[in-house]
This record gives sequence, C-alpha cells and structure tokens, in this order.
Amino acid sequence: MKITLKVNGRIHELDVNPNRTLLEVLREDMDLIGAKCGCQTGDCGACTVIIDGTPILSCLTLAISNEDKEITTVEGLTNDGNLHVIQRKFIDNTAIQCGYCTPGLVMTAKALLDTNPNPTDEQIRDYIRGNICRCTGYTKIVDAIRSAAEELRKQ
Amino acid sequence: MNSEFKVVGKSVPRLDGLEKVTGEARYIDDVKLSNMAFGKILRSPHAHAKIISIDTSKAEKLPGVLAVITAKDTPMIKFCLYQWIAEHYKGRLPREDYRDKLPLENYKVRYVGDEVAAVAAVDMETAENALSLIKVKYERLPIVLDPEEAMKPGAPLIHDELLRPGIQDGLERNIGISFVYKYGEIEKGFKEADHVFEDTFHTSQQHHVCMETHGAIAAWDKTGRLTIWASTQTASPLRMEISKALDMPEHLIRVISVKCGGGFGSKNEMYPHEIIATILAKKTGRPVKIVYTREEDFVSSRTRHPMIVQLKTGVTKEGRITARYGKVIADKGAYLSQGPGPLFTAGWVMTSLYRVENALYEGYSVFTNKPYAGAFRGYGNPQMTFAIESQMDKIAETLHMDPRELRLLNARRQGDITASGCEVKSCGLSECIERVTDASGWKKKRQQKTPRHGIGMACLTHVSGQRGIYGDADLCGAFVIINDDGTVTVLTGGSDMGQGLTTVLAQIAAEEIGVKLEDVRMVMGDTDTCPMDFGEYASRGTLVAGNAVKAAAADAKKGLLQMASEMLNESPENLTISDRKISSIKDHNKSLPISKVAYYAYFEKGVSLLGRSVWDAPTNLLDLVTGHTKPPGPSPAYLFAAQVAEVEVDPETGYVKVLNFTCAHDVGKCINPAMVESQIDGALHQGIGYALTEGLMYNKNGRAVNATLGEYKMLSASDMPPLSRHIIVETIDPLGPYGAKGAGECALVPTAAAVANAIYDAVGVRITTLPITPEKVLRALKQKENSVPLKMTLK
Repeated sequence: MKITLKVNGRIHELDVNPNRTLLEVLREDMDLIGAKCGCQTGDCGACTVIIDGTPILSCLTLAISNEDKEITTVEGLTNDGNLHVIQRKFIDNTAIQCGYCTPGLVMTAKALLDTNPNPTDEQIRDYIRGNICRCTGYTKIVDAIRSAAEELRKQ
Repeated sequence: MNSEFKVVGKSVPRLDGLEKVTGEARYIDDVKLSNMAFGKILRSPHAHAKIISIDTSKAEKLPGVLAVITAKDTPMIKFCLYQWIAEHYKGRLPREDYRDKLPLENYKVRYVGDEVAAVAAVDMETAENALSLIKVKYERLPIVLDPEEAMKPGAPLIHDELLRPGIQDGLERNIGISFVYKYGEIEKGFKEADHVFEDTFHTSQQHHVCMETHGAIAAWDKTGRLTIWASTQTASPLRMEISKALDMPEHLIRVISVKCGGGFGSKNEMYPHEIIATILAKKTGRPVKIVYTREEDFVSSRTRHPMIVQLKTGVTKEGRITARYGKVIADKGAYLSQGPGPLFTAGWVMTSLYRVENALYEGYSVFTNKPYAGAFRGYGNPQMTFAIESQMDKIAETLHMDPRELRLLNARRQGDITASGCEVKSCGLSECIERVTDASGWKKKRQQKTPRHGIGMACLTHVSGQRGIYGDADLCGAFVIINDDGTVTVLTGGSDMGQGLTTVLAQIAAEEIGVKLEDVRMVMGDTDTCPMDFGEYASRGTLVAGNAVKAAAADAKKGLLQMASEMLNESPENLTISDRKISSIKDHNKSLPISKVAYYAYFEKGVSLLGRSVWDAPTNLLDLVTGHTKPPGPSPAYLFAAQVAEVEVDPETGYVKVLNFTCAHDVGKCINPAMVESQIDGALHQGIGYALTEGLMYNKNGRAVNATLGEYKMLSASDMPPLSRHIIVETIDPLGPYGAKGAGECALVPTAAAVANAIYDAVGVRITTLPITPEKVLRALKQKENSVPLKMTLK
C-alpha cells in the first residue's frame, strides 16, 4: 500500500503492508533507528515518537494510520547538528546508562515540556511513568528534565 | 587527594552520551548486514517432555523459508559455563562433566521455553509463520517446580545423567551441585552463645529485564571464518565458549560486542541462540539475526536464583556473633548455567560481612522444570544478605540493642583475614554505618516513632573481581597507543554493558598519561583487535580492566618520555606530563607539546609508542570443594556499604511506600562520582523491586504467568522514592587503580533487607519471603492482631 509520511519535516513516499507498525517502518524502511523496540506491547515506552504534539508509542500504531500527521523522532530533535536542550541535559546530568530507553525518554520529556514548561518533580515522574528505564533508577533522568525545563524557560 | 588528579575523581560526562541521546547508537537489532536473514527459535510448550519426533517438512516448503534446523543439524556438543572451572578440580568434584545444555535439545525438553528447532527466513514474519508449521510430537513427563519437592525420593528426574553408578537413587535427586564448607569450630561457637536465632527466608526469581532483549547476528566468510555480533558483557569468553560449542579453533571466530542495552549479569554467558544463529548462517550462506521477543527474553534468558535460606546464628549477650550455620537450597531451574557461583557466593557472605569465625555452610543447587537461573547483579549475595540482615535486626531487638550498634560491634574491619581466608586490605564498613545513620537521622527516628513510619538499615560486602570463573585467572589485557598526533587509543577486550566502563577506562588512561579526556579514544569488545579481557561481571571492570589500562598507559608513557628526554636533553625521571605538555621539573624552559614528541617518535625515530599489559589479579581461588582460600582470596578488594530505608506502611491495604534511601558506599577511590551515584540509583531501583514487587510466577504446568512488562511489576518513575542520598566513602585500596574498587553490583545487595527492617520498625511484622507484597503484609498484620489479645490473656 502506497502512503506518504511526514517525518522530521520531510515527506517520505513509501510502499508498506497495512499490518506494519509505524515503529517497524521507521526502523526498517527509513533507517530511523532511534526509536527502539523493547516489548511490542506498549509497555516500555522505548519506541515513543511525537505525533502532532502528542507522545505516541510507535509500536502500537500502524504506519498507514499516520498519513497527514507531523511525526517527530529523536533524530528530528537535533537542529543543524546542535543538540536539543533536553538531549544536552541528559548528557550533562549522567541521565544515561545503557541508553536503550534514552530516545523514548527524551521524546516523552519533549512532549511534557512542550505542554508544561514548568513541571514539578512529581509531574515529571508521573509523565514519564510509561517509560521504563532499568539502569538509572530515574533520579538523574528527573534531574535532567527539570534542568532542561529551567533552561528552556530562560530562552 | 582529589586535587592531585586532573581527570580521575571528576564527574565527566559519559563518552557515549552523544550517540545515545541522538539515537545513533547501534544495538544488536539496529545492525543490518546485506542479504541478512532472520532467525526464530521454536520453544517447548511443555515443562518436561520427551521429544518423540519433529517434522519440519511443511515449514521447509513455506515460501521465504531458507533453512529449518533441529538438533541433528548442530554439532550436538553440550555446554555449561561451570565446566570452565570444574576442569580445574578434576577428580575432586562428584562429576567430571557438568555440561548439560544443547543449543537445540534432541532427547528431552526441561522447561517451557526450551530450544527445540529453528528457522531462518527472508523476513521475521515468514520465520514466525514457519515455526507454526513445525510439528513436534512430545511424550509429556511428570514435572517438578519446587526445589524441596525435587530433592525428594521419587521426584521426576530432570537430568538422567544424574543417576550414576554408586549414587543410590533418591539420595542426591536433582541436585546439580552441593557444597559443605566448614570454618573454625562450629559446636564450640554455638556453646559460647547466650542466644541462638534460627530463621528461614525465601527469595524470588527476579528477572534482569534488560531493556534490550538478547540477540546476536552470525555470518561466515568464504575463508571459513565466523563473525558473531553480540549483545554481551563478555566478548572474549564468548569466543572461548563458542569455540568449544562448535569444536572450532578460536582464531576462526571473531566476536564483536555491539552497544549493549543492559546486562546485569544476564549477558555474561553463551546462549543457545548464538550457536543457533551460527548454524543457520552456515546452512543459508547468509548472515542470520536472532533477537528475542520480550516474552522469550523473560523465560529463555537467565534469572536470579530463588533461594531458601535457613540461617542459625549464635550470639553472646553483648551481641558478638559466635557461630553461624547456613543452609541454602537454590532453585536452579532446568540447567546448570553458571553452576555454583551464586551458591558459593551465598556461603562466602556468611563469614565475610561480619566477623564470624565459626561457621558451617551447606549449599544445594537443585534442578526444577523452570526457566533457569544464572548470574544476576549480586550473584547469590542479595539472597543471603536478605537473611543475614533481617536476622541481625531480630537479634538486636532481643538483646535490646540499637541495630546500628550490633552491626558496628561485629563489622568487618581493615586488615582482617576472614574465616575463609580473604584478606580485607581496605574496608569502610564502620564508617559507612556511622555516616549513613548520621545522615538519615537514624537515632532520632528510631526513638521518636511516627505511626506507620519505619526506618531500617542493612549492610553488605561484595567482591570486586572474581578468580575462578574461566579457570585459575582473573585477567584483562590492554594496549595503549600514543598516536603520532599525541592523541591516545586504548584497546581492551571488555565491553560496556551500559554501566559506563568506557568512560572510566578513558579517564584512567588520560590521567596516567597526562592528556585530556577528549584525547582518548576507546576501542573495546572486538576479539580481532582487542587483547583479551574476561569481561564485565563480579564488579571487576574498574578494578581489573582499570589496572590493565593504567599499566599499559604507563608503559606507553615510558616510551614517550624516552623520546622527550632525547629532544629536551633531560633525563626521563625529571619529566612530567600535564595538560598535553611534557615539561622538566628542573628547568621550566624545557617543555614540549606531546604532539611534537609523538611526531618525532614516529617520523624521525621510527618508534611506535605502544604500551601493553596483561593484569592478572594477584588473587587466589576460593576452593570450590572446601570453601577456603589464601589471602587475599578470590578478589583483590572487597566492597562494603550500608543503607538506610524509610518506609510508610498502610495498615488498611498492606501497601508499602518507600519514602527515601540513604546509602553510604565504600567504592575505594571514586573515579567518576556521578556515574557511581547512577549505579547506586539504578541498583536501588532493582533492589526495591526485589524487596516489594518483582519475581516470576508460574502456573501448575510450569508456564510463567507474568512474562510481560505489564505483568512483571517493576517500579516506575513515580513508584521510586523521590529522595535518595548518597555518601561515597573513599577508602584507598592498595590493589585498585588509584585505589578504586567496583561499584556496579553492590547497591542492590542489602536493599531488600533494609526495606524489610523498616517495615518491621513501622508496623511490627517481619516478612521473610520476597517479594513483600501488600497481601503478605496484610496477612502478617492480621496474624499479629489476632495474637495480641492471646498474649495479654497469658499475662
């Protein structure tokens, strides 16, 4: 089935089976490997992308149902080689270990800060509840998001 | 001390941060090779059954299927990690050969998830469809899921080879391995005791749940060489294991460790899928990728050993431990895997954490028809520490002592040689106990009780390095090259499972040579280019690989200084390197940038600036048969810590909320404080999960009923306590690089006991079975309520 997807501001003409998830098409057909497959059941959040401003689990949505939408993956956050503030803060705060959950968490954090620029720690923890990290215990991830929010508010 | 260092001791950002936040980091599922096929494994639906026949004809005919294999297509060589060290004890162990696992089983399946057949196809969907076309005829056998049942006469026998001449059926039923270790005079010790405490504890089958599931890609080239891309913690040993399993020389095998999405111990042994991918690649003539689904990962990767720990401790009325008896029945699951490691670590802890001179340990590793346990952060230690540290609080209560004082009285100290023969060259345990209780407001909170609130503590010791996994060695090799432009390349065989070893080793190389961190490039985990390292387990990376890199860097620096000496006309002893500059300590005018000296070496003298080292830890085996060792024991250094948990318990629901944790960890010299804190944070997450929620559960047929991320309850960001305080206690260990010890495993070891002790402090119920679910708390509270009036009437 021929579809058009708008990913990170670029139009992609694709021919995909209707049963394929957005995650599969991003990873396999477009080589956008930032979104990860951690479960295929929507439980881990590693595949989170932003669609029309909302964080979406790309393993639970079909590629064909996302035409005419703005899809942003972690690869789309970097602007002219410059890291997004959230990405930089994840590095500065050591909010990364194995890194498998990191792209999903960065995207979830972006969706949070786009809608709530001044979240409390409790709101941050609640918002990222669907993203599992098995390495960091979340402490430094919350630090990174809080510190990104502070810097974004100054900009 | 910090001021002496330029790079070590600083919270520098991780070197792999950039690729990880941008999504560029390539894990096994992100690696694509041209013409790559996809492999899937057919797994047993039965917990115990004979394989009568396998018909693959329909699957083979499915368009897109490239190969279907069963056991007969494999070399049928059994494997088991334990065999590497068992070879060393030839003639002293009950069996010669402990290898029990085939890549694809041919005779029996022993757990739900056992490997039976495999398919390679042009895409994943075809491979999955082909699996459903393979017809396997099984003859179901009686199953046994409980290790105590499995030990009884007449229980279903899981490995037929355990029935051997001279062993009467029933005496050693389903026991894979057993140990009896004796220290001092146990009877005398118990006679000296004023009180004897005896308790039994049960721990759960915790799963690693690495966010990246297991996977590998295998490819053969025309010369007959095999390359395996693997998500592994142990690239060099994986090559050794594959070599044995395929009966193929090591030099024909290359293992490349790709970005590893979490390991925690689960990725430090060869798995059947690595051999299966290899066979499929051979058959199809194409690279073959196998990546586990999440459910596959839950049941067919390793787990923590559930243990039944019986612990008997004698103490004087002052609180000094006089004797200890421990018996552990470890639920092995279907296969031996790491074998005795976790079982003997559990025994080792008994005499290591506190000064216990008289002890007896009996350990049994028992087969059951369940997914099998292997290495998991702590390696048998969290189970025994849960028992020891829960019981310590019971002892303190009976003796009317502050649990803090009881621990301080018995605490292991620097300079001690333990009953098993381990020499403790550095030990910050007492300082950890003192500082963690001071920082958490322990004394005040223990005395002024807030209803439903509780505060509890627990301590730990652990190894940092472990001789005796792959033979009588614990080594790492490293090359350090100072390039012609003055930058540095480090090659070593270890792999970074995500904990951050790459950054730590780069810090050590930069510090040793005197360059900036950004001048160092790390090349790791490729057996074709990197010298051997045993890998990342036993909290050994910082200490063992750190020493290797430090020594190789010093070796490279020696060559560089020799060159500088010629150029500056100054003896090498008078030269120092700092901030990329080589200068004379005698004459400040004599100074050159490293880049100039390096260029001179290569282009004018034809000298390469290569440093090399193999660091084999100066340690001794802990004898598997006797449990004794010679100083310093199996590890060059030992880790210590103390943790304090505060909880709130809802008596209506039994729900336990962990409010905060305070941790004090002796990690030796801390190379990267932020990364050590992050290790503690992450271990607390797994440790609190171990305490309260985590564990695989089975139905009566042996099928795991919570093998999904939705059902296997891990703590989310909002379940975790918002506050945890970390205190780093820097003892300087004489054998650590700059005095550093490990930090990876230790923080989850005492966590469950600290939580259990805090729950007792809050509501007066002691839960001895993990995980401490609300149901258990509620049941215990009900029992306590019912027993109170009885006691009152008795009075």
